Amino acid sequence: MKYVCPCGYVYDEALGDPENGIEPGTPWEMVPEDFLCPVCGLDKSAFEEE
Amino acid sequence: MDIKISEDIKYIGVSTRDIDLFESQYIVPNGMAYNSYVILDEKIAVMDTADKIVGEEWFSNLKSVLDGRKPDYLVVQHLEPDHSANIEALCNLYPEMQVVCSAKAKAMMPQFADVDESKIISKSEGDTLELGKHTLKFILAPMVHWPEVMLSYETAEKVLFSADAFGKFGALDADEGWSCEARRYYFNIVGKYGAPVGTLLKKANALEIKTICPLHGPILTDTITDVLNLYSIWSSYTPENEGVFIAFASIHGNTAEAAYKMKEILENKGCKRVAIADLSRDDIAECVEDAFRHSTLLCMASSYDAGVFAPMADFIHHLKSKAFQNRNVALVENSSWAPSAAKTMKAEFEQMKNITFVGEAVTIKTRVKAADIEALEKLAEQLV
Repeated sequence: MKYVCPCGYVYDEALGDPENGIEPGTPWEMVPEDFLCPVCGLDKSAFEEE
Repeated sequence: MDIKISEDIKYIGVSTRDIDLFESQYIVPNGMAYNSYVILDEKIAVMDTADKIVGEEWFSNLKSVLDGRKPDYLVVQHLEPDHSANIEALCNLYPEMQVVCSAKAKAMMPQFADVDESKIISKSEGDTLELGKHTLKFILAPMVHWPEVMLSYETAEKVLFSADAFGKFGALDADEGWSCEARRYYFNIVGKYGAPVGTLLKKANALEIKTICPLHGPILTDTITDVLNLYSIWSSYTPENEGVFIAFASIHGNTAEAAYKMKEILENKGCKRVAIADLSRDDIAECVEDAFRHSTLLCMASSYDAGVFAPMADFIHHLKSKAFQNRNVALVENSSWAPSAAKTMKAEFEQMKNITFVGEAVTIKTRVKAADIEALEKLAEQLV
C-alpha cells in the first residue's frame, strides 16, 4: 500500500523511509503517530491512500 | 497608495495593473497587489519582499518607511518568487540584517537567493521573535500552499501576517468586493490543499485576530469572521451554494444551445441558482471556482477524436489537479456519429473522491430536437 501527502511525497509501505527511521515493510498504521512528511512537514492525518 | 495598519506597522507593498497574467496563468483584470510590511520598534522587521516586477517601487516604499534606519530582520514567510525576488538584494543592501524563516525555508533558500547561511535564523512552531513592544509568534503552515510557509502572529496588536492565505486577485484600489476574486484565488491556488488549510484554520481560530495582513489583496479587519467562515467552507470541500453549474464545450453551437436550454429548464423548475460557462471562451480559473462553489456540476460536451472536446478535457484536468470532490455530477454529450464524450468524462470523474453521478448521461445527436429537450427535462428533474 502507498499513502500520499498533499505535497506529493509518497509513503510506500514496501520501501518504508529508512532515511527517517522507518524500516522497509512498515505498514502505515505502524508508522509513529508523530511522523511528519519529510518533504513538507504535514502530519499523518494529511496523507491519503493512493 | 497610503494604507495604514497602525502607528508601528507600515504597508510597503505595491499594487500594479501592469500585469497580463498572474503566475503566467490567471487573468487579473484588476491587477494584483504584492503586499509587504514593516514593523517599526526597537528592532525593525520587514515582512517578506515583493515580486521583481514591482521591486523598484517596493524598495522605494521600504526606504521611505525606514527613514534612514536599518532593518534588523527580514521575516520570510513564503519563498515563492513573487515574494522572494528581492531577498538577495535586500540582504546585500543591509548586510547586518538577519533572515528569519522556517527550517524548511532555510533549506530551500539557496534555490531562490544567495543568502549567507549564518545570517538565517530558523524558527519552529510557536517560536517567537522579540522586537520591543511587538513580538512575533510563528505558526507553521506547510502546504498552504508551499511546504516552507510560516505565518507570523504579532501579539501586541493582534495582527496575523498570513502569507498567501486569505489573499485575493486584484490591486488594492480595485472597486470590487472580497469574496469573488478571493474565491477564484483560493480554489485555483490553494484548492488542492484543503486539509492543510483546515489545520491552519484550527490554529487561527485559537487566536484573537484584529487584523489579517495577507501577501495579496486587502488588509482584513471588520470582515475577519466572515473570511474565516468562508475558508472553513472552502477548505472542507463543502459546496458554498446549492445550485447547478453548467459547463459546456461546444464545437458548432448545438451543445451550447442545449446548455442554455438546460439553464432555462432548471430555472423554470425552481433551481435556486444556475450558473453557466462556455469552456472555449470563458476564464478557466473562474470555471474552476464555479465548479467548487456549487453543489452540482453539469458537464455538457461534444465528442471529439473518440474522446471529449479539448476545452472540457482541459477543464476536468484542472478540477482533478485541484482535488475536486464531494459534488454531484451530471453529464450530457453530443455526437454526430459515435458518442464518446460521456464515457470519457465519467472515467475522469470516477477517479475523484465522493462524486455522485446524477441520472443517466443524455446523448444528443448533433441538433437539439424535441426528444432531446424531453431527455434534458427528465435529467433536470433529478438535478433540482
